[in-house]
Amino acid sequence: MIDLSSSESLVSDDIDLSKTVGEIYADDAKMSMRNVNVFYDEKQAIDNVSLDLARNQVTALIGPSGCGKSTFLRCLNRMNDTIPICRVEGDLRLEDEDIYAKKLDPVLLRARVGMVFQKPNPFPKSIYDNVAYGPKIHGLATNKAELDEIVVSSLQRAGLFNEVKDRLDAPGTGLSGGQQQRLCIARTIAVSPEVILMDEPASALDPIATAVIEELIDELREKYTIAIVTHSMQQAARVSQTTAYFHMGKLVEMGKTEQIFTNPVHELTENYITGRFG
Amino acid sequence: MTDKNPADSNLAEQLSTTEKVALSLRKRHRKEKRFQWAGLMAVGLGFLLVVILISDIVLKARPAFHQHWVKLEVEFRQDWLGVTSSDLAELKKANYRSVLRRSLYGMFPDVKGRRDKRSLFKMISTNAEFTIKQYLLDTPTKLGKTAEVWVRFDDDIDSYLKDDYTPGEAGPRVSKQQAQWLQQFLNKEIVDKRWNSEFFTSGDSREPELAGVRGALTGTLLTMLVTLLLSFPLGVAAAIYLEEFAPKNRWTDIIEVNINNLAAVPSIIFGLLGLAVIINIFGLPRSAPLVGGIVLTLMTLPTIIIASRASIKAVPPSIREAALGLGASKMQTAFGHVLPMAMPGILTGTIIGMAQALGETAPLLMIGMVAFIVDVPAGVTDAATVLPVQIYLWADSPERAFLAKTSAAILVLLSFLLIMNSVAAILRKKFEKN
Amino acid sequence: MENDLNLSHHISKRFNEELEEVRNQVLKMGGVVEQQVREGLKSLLDADQGLAQRVVDTDIEVNTLEVEIDENCTKILARRQPAASDLRLMISIIKTITDLERIGDEAAKLGKNALKLHDDGKIARQFIELRHLGEHVSATLNKALTAYARLDVNEALEIIQNDRFIDEEFDNISRLLITKMMEDPREIKSALRISWCARALERIGDHTKNICEYIVYLVKGKDVRHTSIEEIKQTITE
Repeated sequence: MIDLSSSESLVSDDIDLSKTVGEIYADDAKMSMRNVNVFYDEKQAIDNVSLDLARNQVTALIGPSGCGKSTFLRCLNRMNDTIPICRVEGDLRLEDEDIYAKKLDPVLLRARVGMVFQKPNPFPKSIYDNVAYGPKIHGLATNKAELDEIVVSSLQRAGLFNEVKDRLDAPGTGLSGGQQQRLCIARTIAVSPEVILMDEPASALDPIATAVIEELIDELREKYTIAIVTHSMQQAARVSQTTAYFHMGKLVEMGKTEQIFTNPVHELTENYITGRFG
Repeated sequence: MTDKNPADSNLAEQLSTTEKVALSLRKRHRKEKRFQWAGLMAVGLGFLLVVILISDIVLKARPAFHQHWVKLEVEFRQDWLGVTSSDLAELKKANYRSVLRRSLYGMFPDVKGRRDKRSLFKMISTNAEFTIKQYLLDTPTKLGKTAEVWVRFDDDIDSYLKDDYTPGEAGPRVSKQQAQWLQQFLNKEIVDKRWNSEFFTSGDSREPELAGVRGALTGTLLTMLVTLLLSFPLGVAAAIYLEEFAPKNRWTDIIEVNINNLAAVPSIIFGLLGLAVIINIFGLPRSAPLVGGIVLTLMTLPTIIIASRASIKAVPPSIREAALGLGASKMQTAFGHVLPMAMPGILTGTIIGMAQALGETAPLLMIGMVAFIVDVPAGVTDAATVLPVQIYLWADSPERAFLAKTSAAILVLLSFLLIMNSVAAILRKKFEKN
Repeated sequence: MENDLNLSHHISKRFNEELEEVRNQVLKMGGVVEQQVREGLKSLLDADQGLAQRVVDTDIEVNTLEVEIDENCTKILARRQPAASDLRLMISIIKTITDLERIGDEAAKLGKNALKLHDDGKIARQFIELRHLGEHVSATLNKALTAYARLDVNEALEIIQNDRFIDEEFDNISRLLITKMMEDPREIKSALRISWCARALERIGDHTKNICEYIVYLVKGKDVRHTSIEEIKQTITE
């Protein structure tokens, strides 16, 4: 899942990568990360990255393959904990709470910071059970009626309910790719997280399904803070308010999406989003 | 782009390329054909061998499922029986052998000499006196009267009738005289060939016409049950721990290598271990399905662990990520998602292990399950034997009728295997559906 | 990062070619328009009827070029979805050709007025100021187009700054013409024609200034329209 191989070098030697240009701080930050370093054994995957995720906004992380954007995203709900050789340093906070604190249980963190993955990965269970799983294990519902309520409202918010309301018992794996991904989003929001991390959520989908997901992301912004990793620059431009450009483990530039896509400051950003080589 | 006129220059090349491809295509097709034929031959040969084997066994086993009976007119005379009243306790102790003998001699009044008499009596199964005893105990009113009772022929006569019957001529282990007497039985039309249900309902016996597989079948069932109950949970638990929880370090590497080695250890070693540790140190009973099950568990465990690990490894990591991402604990992920998805593979591995265990004899010999046991075991601590051992024992017996019994027992073993596999297949289907 | 706007070096060579082509078309259109202006002025000053007619006719060529470039831009926008500098290039081109087309229109007006003055038997040659204004405007247009070709922000800035001189000259001509009309009412008709020509030249100057503002936008990514010179300078040096 995690591509450690660095991509073809897009950087020429004389370009300054030492510090991020643009606005990394948000006035109202939901999560703030400072001086984050991530290592896989000896190899450094993230090099001194600081940024804020603004509340109720979509922050897009873009950059070439192997630039560390997915790795960074996975730090935000400690999914990297499952990789034994992965080491995370720095100060990562969710509402001023250190998410790498010893006493913080990653299970609790993941209930607050949900994740949607690149490939739609519904459980091989019914649609209902897929959505009900999170609330069940966290004890969010005390009885069946409450659980039903959560499942229905989550499916509704994910814009899937009308399509599946007659077949909640059908297996989730039988849905189309786009529906599966929306099921995964419904499953994630059923736990009522505060932040949703999305790792290339539409990369496996056709344009129509992608548009539906993007529309959904924009709607979800009202309630959640969202960070999305994407390879599609058009998608980043469409869904996000803030864009961060990663390059070889460093955060090169971060700023308002419209600014990044019309007038990026850093040459590397410019080269990347216009499809140039340096 | 600099190439000015690619069409002209490439045309000639393209043509020759097409020809080259066509040429190599013919070669490839021929190769494919040859390979297909070879594959078909291999499959056909294998199939043929299986058919030959099975039909040979079936043909050989057929006689074992039938038994020849003869209708005797038995006079339950009180003086022959040596009883004074129809008291049940007295009837139980009565001399039925004498009744049987005299009734038989009555049917052949011209048989006079001691040798001839003995020869005549030998034609009837030794079990016949118990048959008539049971008959009288069931119907005590027949005391003092003559009754027609069906009794078994001896196995030699039975085999002669099944395989070598030539009217009035001697056969193997059947004298000319006996053959002629037999002819008289046949002429009177008091000989009957019946379905031998005793084969399935009785235990082992020295007399082939009485020997059955029930004891061995029950022993096998109990042993397999013990093996399954021990090896499946242990194997799956070990596999889950090693795959999902254990840190990857030198210790887990050593454990992995050892498990792989354990799978290659000759099974008789496990038998020795069972004898030395389970019987001698822990003092569990000899010849018991419990001990057999434990020993076979040791043998099956590596197979199940290896298959389960492979199957768990094959579960897509995206499922684990999905569960972890929702905030499921490691334990919830492993048992709620990974295990159900790995189950079909685990079941396959378990069945392979169990099938191996089912056919295993060597370790069981070491722990005494090779003993001659007539009784059907009632529990896991009773002395018992298992089907493969039974087959081995019968195959080793000199009596001709045991040849058929051996084949029949093999058929029973194969059926057992088939049923076990079918159950696993059904379970697998069920898990795959979800 | 000075004015080194990099329009090539895309991974897609075809994209490079497309951008290059549309840019060349714009420069070509600029050349046509510039010549139109110069010839319009010449036809006016030299009372050259044939030349004046040609200037009027050239308008068709300019319009065709505008449509072609628009189409090409639409194609690139649809197929390449340009971002950042490529996006700014597209937008600046679309805007620039509109202004170029207007310049063409104004130049055609010069030609038309030259024809009409000729019909009236008047010659504009006597108006030395018109010649001066015209030469100034066409020189500015030339400079602007060069700046556009070279993406030279400093040059563009200078042109924006110097636009007020054109405005001043126009005011001078207006005053002169008013004096003339007051002196001799018979001259009113021709003086008005001359005034329209001066007005056209002044408009050309304004359009030229717009083009220079697009150059700044293209290179610096800053919209400098409707801002004072000082503010522009400040944003650029930032």
